[in-house]
Amino acid sequence: MAAASDQTTETYRVACDVGGTFTDLAVLSSDGRLSVFKAPTTTGDQGLGGIDAAIGLAVDEMAAAGVDLPARTSVFVHATTRPLNAILQGQTASTAFITTRGHPDILFLREGGRTSFRRHIAYPRPYVPRRLTFELPERIGAQGDVLEALDEEAARAVLEDVAQAGVEAIAVCLLWSVVNPEHELLLARMIEEVLPGVPFSLSHRVNPIIREYRRASATAIDASLKPLISRYLGEFERCLRGRGFHAELLCASCTGTMLPVADVATAPIHTVQSGPALAPLAAVKVAARSDEAADSLIVLDVGGTSSDVTVVRGGALPLTSEFWLGARFSGHMLGLPAVDVQSIGAGGGSIAWLDSGGLLRVGPQSAGASPGPVCYGAGGVEPTVTDAALVLGYLNPEYFLGGRMELDAHAALDVIERRLAQPLEVDAVTAADAVLAVAVQQMTDAIEESTVSQGLDPREAVIVAGGGAAGFAIDAVARELGVSTVLVGRAAPALAAYGGSVSPLARDFRRSHMTSTATFDFAGVDAVLQALTHEAEAFLADRTDEPGTRELEWFVGARYGHQRWEVEVPLPEPRLHTDADVAALVERFHTAHERLYAIKDPNQLVEFITWRVRASHISPAARQSSARTGDISPPRTGTRMAYFRGHGRLDTPVIGGAALKPGRRLEGPLLVEEPATTIVVSPGSALEVGRSGELHLSVGTGVQHQRFSSPPQQVTRSR
Amino acid sequence: MTSSITVQPSVMGDPALLTIIANRLETIVREMINTLLRTSCSGVLNTARDFSCAILTRDNRLLVFAESLPIHVAAIELEGRVMSDFHGDTLAPGDAFINNSPYHGGTHHADHTILVPVFWRDEHVMTVCAKAHQADTGNAKPTTYAPASLDIYDEGSVSLPCVRIQRDYHDDDDLVRICRQRIRVPDQWYGDYLAALGAVRVGERALTELFAKYGSGTVAEFVEDWFDYSERRMVSELSQLPAGSWGGDGRHDPFPGVPEGIPLQAKVSIDADAPRVTVDLRDNIDNVPCGLNLSEATARAAALIGVFNGLDPDIPINGGSLRRVDVLLRTGSVAGIPEHPVSCSSATTNVADRLVNLVSSTMATIRPAYGQAEGGLGTPASRAVISGEDPRRQGARYINQMFLGNTGGPATSDCDGWVTFIVPVSGGFCYRDSVEVDEQKYPIHVRSVTVIPDSGGGGRLQGGPGTLVEFGPATEAPLRVIYASDGHHYPARGVLGGLDGRAASVELIDADGRVTPAPLVADLHLHEGERIRAGTCGGGGYGDPAERSHDRVREDVEEGLISLEYATRVYGFIAGASSPERQELAL
Repeated sequence: MAAASDQTTETYRVACDVGGTFTDLAVLSSDGRLSVFKAPTTTGDQGLGGIDAAIGLAVDEMAAAGVDLPARTSVFVHATTRPLNAILQGQTASTAFITTRGHPDILFLREGGRTSFRRHIAYPRPYVPRRLTFELPERIGAQGDVLEALDEEAARAVLEDVAQAGVEAIAVCLLWSVVNPEHELLLARMIEEVLPGVPFSLSHRVNPIIREYRRASATAIDASLKPLISRYLGEFERCLRGRGFHAELLCASCTGTMLPVADVATAPIHTVQSGPALAPLAAVKVAARSDEAADSLIVLDVGGTSSDVTVVRGGALPLTSEFWLGARFSGHMLGLPAVDVQSIGAGGGSIAWLDSGGLLRVGPQSAGASPGPVCYGAGGVEPTVTDAALVLGYLNPEYFLGGRMELDAHAALDVIERRLAQPLEVDAVTAADAVLAVAVQQMTDAIEESTVSQGLDPREAVIVAGGGAAGFAIDAVARELGVSTVLVGRAAPALAAYGGSVSPLARDFRRSHMTSTATFDFAGVDAVLQALTHEAEAFLADRTDEPGTRELEWFVGARYGHQRWEVEVPLPEPRLHTDADVAALVERFHTAHERLYAIKDPNQLVEFITWRVRASHISPAARQSSARTGDISPPRTGTRMAYFRGHGRLDTPVIGGAALKPGRRLEGPLLVEEPATTIVVSPGSALEVGRSGELHLSVGTGVQHQRFSSPPQQVTRSR
Repeated sequence: MTSSITVQPSVMGDPALLTIIANRLETIVREMINTLLRTSCSGVLNTARDFSCAILTRDNRLLVFAESLPIHVAAIELEGRVMSDFHGDTLAPGDAFINNSPYHGGTHHADHTILVPVFWRDEHVMTVCAKAHQADTGNAKPTTYAPASLDIYDEGSVSLPCVRIQRDYHDDDDLVRICRQRIRVPDQWYGDYLAALGAVRVGERALTELFAKYGSGTVAEFVEDWFDYSERRMVSELSQLPAGSWGGDGRHDPFPGVPEGIPLQAKVSIDADAPRVTVDLRDNIDNVPCGLNLSEATARAAALIGVFNGLDPDIPINGGSLRRVDVLLRTGSVAGIPEHPVSCSSATTNVADRLVNLVSSTMATIRPAYGQAEGGLGTPASRAVISGEDPRRQGARYINQMFLGNTGGPATSDCDGWVTFIVPVSGGFCYRDSVEVDEQKYPIHVRSVTVIPDSGGGGRLQGGPGTLVEFGPATEAPLRVIYASDGHHYPARGVLGGLDGRAASVELIDADGRVTPAPLVADLHLHEGERIRAGTCGGGGYGDPAERSHDRVREDVEEGLISLEYATRVYGFIAGASSPERQELAL
């Protein structure tokens, strides 16, 4: 580590998140102070210009406070969108796909499904074209038995064809390699011999699950990113070193953890979708540092073009193995478990329009950052959610983005009037309110879907808000859902970057090994758990001299005998030696299933499929973070006319975020203006400032939410 | 993004509420679907997603369905009517009814519908439905499609004409025992029943919350406003169609009991003044002595799917838009209203698929800029119901429908055919099975699953390709395979100059590798080493092949989706020549 040139002894964790509009940098000191810096995202240079600018802002400002940030930074975390953008823009490496003979169309036929049966959506192209797909004579059976041995001579011929095709990477996914990887490993040795230097990925290593499409998709994505990620990380590191940073570089992963650069280079797929995965992690920290004792959190991150929703129960980030890159059924499935973030096309830039039957609709089209809402005055012509918010008086036209941009209130009013109010035969304010109400409902629906799929009553949860456009919506969203408390952390406008600064270093190790309660394979399971534990310990072995806690956690995906989808259940320790151990595990499975789906079936056979070990290294700073922030915005006060549903236009107090000191309590109606967001507090709601400076918005004070007793949901089998 | 709209009646003058409640209802249905998908037991549900959910108004008009199979839901209000007729006087909170009777609004015996009347303040306000295709329904033979059945007695299914299966949220154990007695692998059936029940209870709870929030008066107004809106969309759409009558005919392949096949007629009439559209199916032959007869629900739904395939996809299909469509059916017709004991065992696929194709392609003729060709047909051996005993699980019995092969989708006015289309009645909603999951769950070995080159019908837009699937038993235990395939004699036709898709094929391969043709309708016991190889239909093409872009032809050749020979013959493609578009640009 570089020698300290300043007088303090603090160290810093710096995290960088590249978004569509802004590149955010979070700087977290070892005593828990947080600063956030934003620079416009740059395009055409892989975003490096924006990153460098944000770093420059941070370095200069910290230097002014007497801190040599580059020298004092111990860890630099990067959540990169580079791999995802490369996939969506088709800029990944030309990749060959090698698979079992007779099954060349795994990536083309996928798993079926469609969102509409009507004629207007084109069938997606496969991730790897059919012309770069190669069939290998070999076959392993469901029990791991070799039905057809790999013919090495034929394999060599296939690899020579691959070489002829001039690809830059190779993805290998052979059927049943997760049960018996012999053929994939043999082929790997041959690739190294025949095509030395060409990066390749093996499916049983990238994503050891059964279901060939998901495994193949993950493998193909992984291989196609390998040439690019090495180049990109090299350039990123040069940019960092150029600024004088010598800290260890870590990359955020799609499971909300950090990985060393070496691991990312061998499995770059883990960095896809890493930014959105960090917001839920940040929300967990925000909630933990507040005084809210909520077991369940709803994380709502509202950006310019979309809103991300995640439901977090018991502090554990929910994972899904059905994450789509691009549209559902038309994009590509990530295949790998990723934090379950549901994204909907309702954000500040979403366009409001009337269809041919006169129905008001919001999105999915968005004005994006460019041209942006009409009020930006940058050429936008369609009314957006942000224009509606301006018409309602929620935004200060002179203090948008801390005064860096002036909004054209007249243009916003005019477009709402012409495009919506007149055809609807209502006044502009009513039309604007309707636009916001529809956007709010879309967010509410997305939350409802997420909570139902996790068996959660949203009224038992706390909402944690993030993103620049969340402030217009959260009060109303909470009311709709019957949620009484919304938390807005001081890091809210840069939630993901903050998440990066507090994320643990962690990696998952998985293996498929099927057994059931009928004849539990004690020896086999023990061997799998020991092997996984060994791998996990080896991963942590490099970190033995660093301060922090090392943790191992064990899980298994289980299901009822006839089912096909698994529910993951934690194992308290990696030991299943007796019938009693298995019985305890089965009991935990029944409980988890009932919580998720309201039913359990105690007499059914239970099958165990995928075993997982997570190895984590949690640094002391990540544990202690209190997310205090040095707010540089001037306090603002005054009043403004703002419209509230059910109350009409009210002369509403406006207060600057910096004026909100811990312990202060304010009643709605109220507008809190911060540089990157405005928080709307309705009449009947109240705002209280928590000990870390986070805002607790209590909605519906004094209003009884109508609750009723649900019909019995518990269904247990009786024979 | 339209202007000059003046008419906008909405819920109590709140322009947002119509959108909000409509979106909310759709979300509720998606929540029901998610519950059913995740908790069901049989592969046909939890992997292939062969189920649907919908909400009806109290007076049995279709209010909403989302991401559901159109054949299941387009006429599901018939089942609500039967529930009202049988139980209207005694409906109570906590009731659940089960229906699979094709004479009582059901689609076919294999589809079990659970209906729950939803109450708000002691009043029946809506009905939620979940319809799920069962892995087994107690047919005489282990298949959920028994096309050779002479009548309901020959089918042998348990038949449940909208009977009460729950009272006060508790099962009628007697009825459950009756079903368990007859249905193979009863635990699987009961698990699937619980999953469907869980889905409707989730819907019930969510709807009760909706009423609690908005009150029954507002919701009632919403319903009428929403139907009016949907009808307005329909009126503006239909007014763009030319007036007149168009006849179409088609034919289902020869089958046991119908050696000449089944000829089909549909007449589509557009009344431009009303405006409304009428599909007349009355001029079809009488019921046939096999399981291919349509039920009233599937005849009506197939005609409706065909109509909506030719309209703006954004128009909601519900009681409002349906006010502008008439489907005329004749009692006693193969594509009409069957009477007990006519068998409708395969009513959701074969003839229904033909009818969807017939009406869709007729709509394309009426408005060429906006329609689709015929989609690939049949329930091929690669989607057979398989059964037997699994030696790997101590001889445990299994039965399930596989979903490995897809037929190619029809080319449309906008796109080449959807590849994982399955069949016209499902429109691509169903998922495909994973080979690995199937091999893990059942003792089968899937040797290959490949797309068939040159199988999509040529056209300006090309039909989707068929797939070739080869499979057999993985162990010494015999594998029973039952299927009833269509599309061998009469493939999916192209429209407006587009060519027909490839016909279906099916072959047996014995342990020594000898290949022989397999029957099109079969109940086979495959032994170790034996395989079946089924090729599915491609979809029909749309428009003149000469108008297809050269770049797309070249790409298909490079991708191996069509051969160079096919490209030359059908598209006049010359390898190496630059495309006409590029030449024009160069000028």
